[in-house]
Amino acid sequence: METETTLTPERASLLATQRALVERAQRGDASAQRALYETHVDRIYRLAFRVTGREQLARELTQDTFVRAFASLAGYRGEASFGTWLHTIAMSVTLNEMKRRKRQAAREAPLEDALTVARSAPESDPVLRDRLAAAVAALPEGCRTVFMMHDAEGFTHEEIAAALGVTAGTSKAQLSRGRAKLRLALAEFAEEWKP
Amino acid sequence: MTDHTDGVNLDFGDDDDEVPHVDDPQFDAWLLGQAPALNSPPVTPRLAMWDAIQAAQLASADASAGRITDVRPLRRVRWFLPAAVAAALLLGIGIDRYSFSRPGQPLAKVAKAPTPSGQNANDPNKLYRLAAVQTLSQAEALLTAYRATGTSAQNAAATLQLGIWGRQVLNSTRLLMDSPAGDDPQLRALLNDLELVLAQIIRLSGAPPDTTDRQLIDRAMRDRDLLPRIQTAVPAGIAGSASDE
Repeated sequence: METETTLTPERASLLATQRALVERAQRGDASAQRALYETHVDRIYRLAFRVTGREQLARELTQDTFVRAFASLAGYRGEASFGTWLHTIAMSVTLNEMKRRKRQAAREAPLEDALTVARSAPESDPVLRDRLAAAVAALPEGCRTVFMMHDAEGFTHEEIAAALGVTAGTSKAQLSRGRAKLRLALAEFAEEWKP
Repeated sequence: MTDHTDGVNLDFGDDDDEVPHVDDPQFDAWLLGQAPALNSPPVTPRLAMWDAIQAAQLASADASAGRITDVRPLRRVRWFLPAAVAAALLLGIGIDRYSFSRPGQPLAKVAKAPTPSGQNANDPNKLYRLAAVQTLSQAEALLTAYRATGTSAQNAAATLQLGIWGRQVLNSTRLLMDSPAGDDPQLRALLNDLELVLAQIIRLSGAPPDTTDRQLIDRAMRDRDLLPRIQTAVPAGIAGSASDE
């Protein structure tokens, strides 16, 4: 977690601006809410999309996140940064929805593979691309979420820990475990990453 | 092993399936290069999502204040929206009846709710399109607001008010279905599905909050892909531009 003493002046200034915006938003200032939305929406939407793999669902979950956040803004006490608090809500909304869909899918039909790989992937081998997507999709939910947040979206372990309500150590361990599982699943392609 | 966050039990899988944690910096580096392409997000639809968020906020505020009968969930729509829908439908139906009395006049067709801009103000097609856009925009706002409400006791009042609002949208939906706009098979199917879900929401209103009922409505929305279809039929920004005319 960041503390006042570890902050760079730029970061401290950014957080102060965010605090001021949040205070205005808590008083019902619509322009402050819009500013907070504009600041954070990209990261929330990207994360929702990474986890769900579905554009429409990511859009709905992002909307739900902000609706819930603005509705409970009075309860935000500023113990964590607004972004961290927002990501906690986003992950709660997203993972609950994914769990609900998984339960439903298990009742009704085989699970869809929610992972797709962009055509612009640096690795051109389509078989490897598909195998990687399948291997990531097969990771346990928490492990996969940590992997996507860290390796795909660039979250730090501290940010992941705050958003998921776990310790940074758990995040690191799960990332390491996830990578190990992926390495095992893709062992036959080892020449791709060996020099 | 599980860990907890706000209302979420994270499944980290079974620790018994331990795989060897061998450091392989080459694989990690390769994986870091591949990971950004997994579920690579498209451009964030900022404006469309903000409109939906505002609609839900306004609906929630109006529901809390008991003003839902006058609710105008889309900020730019204001008082104009219900009047425009009613006027467009009434005028459209009138024009349609007139056209029935003139053999050879083609009936208006609406494939989906496209932009009404750049067309003659007296064009009956435009009136139907305007009415379709307005009704579907209302429906999207209503369904977004519905999704934001829970089943807790304090949301019972909001559910009741959503039901009142739902009746207004249902009336517009049925008027559209009876108009030439309903001749378009794609739009008709969408309106049929919307009618069913609206009826469920209306039936829910006034009753004690019930998780099962909500699950049925959620499932009906999901199975019919209702919100995405409405959002496809009402492209971002169309509702606002239509109402500003």
